[in-house]
Amino acid sequence: MECEEVRDQFADYLIDNLQEPARLEVRNHLAACESCRSEAEGLKTLWAKLGAIPAAQPGPELRARFQVMLEAYRHGLDEAPSRSWRQSMNEWLAGWWPSQPVLQFGLTLALLVVGLVAGWRLRPEPAVQPNGEITELRGELHQMRQMVALSLMQQQSASERLKGVSWSYQLKQPDGEVLIALLDTLMHDQNVNVRLAAVDALRQFGGQPVVRNGVVEALGRQDSPMVQVALIDLVVDLKEKESVDTLRKLTQNEKLNEAVRTRAQRGLQELE
Amino acid sequence: MLAVRDGDVGKLGALFDRHHRVLFDYFVRMTGDRAGAEDLVQDVFFRMLKYRKTYRDDSRFTAWMFHIARNARIDHHKKRKGEVMFPEEGMEIPSRSPFPNQELEQQQETALVQRALHKLSEEKREVLVLSRYQDMKYEQIAELLGCEVGTVKVRVHRAMRELREVFFKLSGEKASWNAKKSETSLRII
Repeated sequence: MECEEVRDQFADYLIDNLQEPARLEVRNHLAACESCRSEAEGLKTLWAKLGAIPAAQPGPELRARFQVMLEAYRHGLDEAPSRSWRQSMNEWLAGWWPSQPVLQFGLTLALLVVGLVAGWRLRPEPAVQPNGEITELRGELHQMRQMVALSLMQQQSASERLKGVSWSYQLKQPDGEVLIALLDTLMHDQNVNVRLAAVDALRQFGGQPVVRNGVVEALGRQDSPMVQVALIDLVVDLKEKESVDTLRKLTQNEKLNEAVRTRAQRGLQELE
Repeated sequence: MLAVRDGDVGKLGALFDRHHRVLFDYFVRMTGDRAGAEDLVQDVFFRMLKYRKTYRDDSRFTAWMFHIARNARIDHHKKRKGEVMFPEEGMEIPSRSPFPNQELEQQQETALVQRALHKLSEEKREVLVLSRYQDMKYEQIAELLGCEVGTVKVRVHRAMRELREVFFKLSGEKASWNAKKSETSLRII
């Protein structure tokens, strides 16, 4: 055995725990090696000195303390099964509830405030009312449609002007400018189809005086039999009394188309 | 302990009577604090009650007890970290010798060994305390510490060598101090 191997055995050597053949080998090595023998003896001596330190003795009160702890634990075990969940809950809640009336009042007040705040925060949202922004948008759309109608009615192309008249159908409450544009179209547009479309467009605005007057005036000036018939039907539908004189003149005009005169005669009868 | 585990907690009293001195001694040697050691003994038996269900049929009671004791001591150490509890002069050594001078010399030497032991790291001190004072075999210590038996043996050897160095150093300081003291006394005379 080398020195290193022998020294690895010192822990067992200290407590006399070496087994054969290691025990014999260590003994032989120590007999031959002064250095290892010196260390082994030194450690063994110190090991013996360690044993001279007496054991610490506890005081008698330690037993008494243990007994108190044990009794408290047993008491807790005995108590545990008899406590219902309701008692436990009551005790737990009682732990939170203050004992002083002032604090009780304060806590109640605080809970009330918390409830009010929570109720206010959680209230249902009111139904969405149309607000100013939407009204404004609608107004802008209305104006845009009027502008489109007006601009189309001023186009060179008859089909574009027809589109313009059709756009005016989308206007529920057109302003005076559009109505005048429609009446102007009715009076002066060269294309019969456009003028007929204008008659149809003006029909829905027949409640307005400017339309009624314009229609009567246009009836006296029209030279197209188709437009004249359409206008006679319109004034009759509108029950426009102011048109009676115009209708009478038409019936008396012998140069006029026979169908128009007949229609005027019938209309005159309906209005009178 | 099986009876305690199964609900007869009163039987723990018998276990206390049998083992509390061993535990107290272990704690005092490890911490140097008698009051703290009493608290720790109390804590160990409380933990036995608390964790009694973890005690298995094939458990060895002493091993289980020391496992709890180690954990209690480590927790205690964490709580009171930084506090130095070891007394510089060591505990009282009871007198039995009919030769007072020889007795005094032995007392001083034992106190020096004790001081040297307290100066070791906790890891080294523990293997010496368990093997020297609790009569634990290295296999049992290895099981308790969760390491190999060989590791325990190496640790014991290193602990003893360091203890010897510290002891010699303390002896030298004491001898030097005694020499100075004698010289001063002669001058006064």
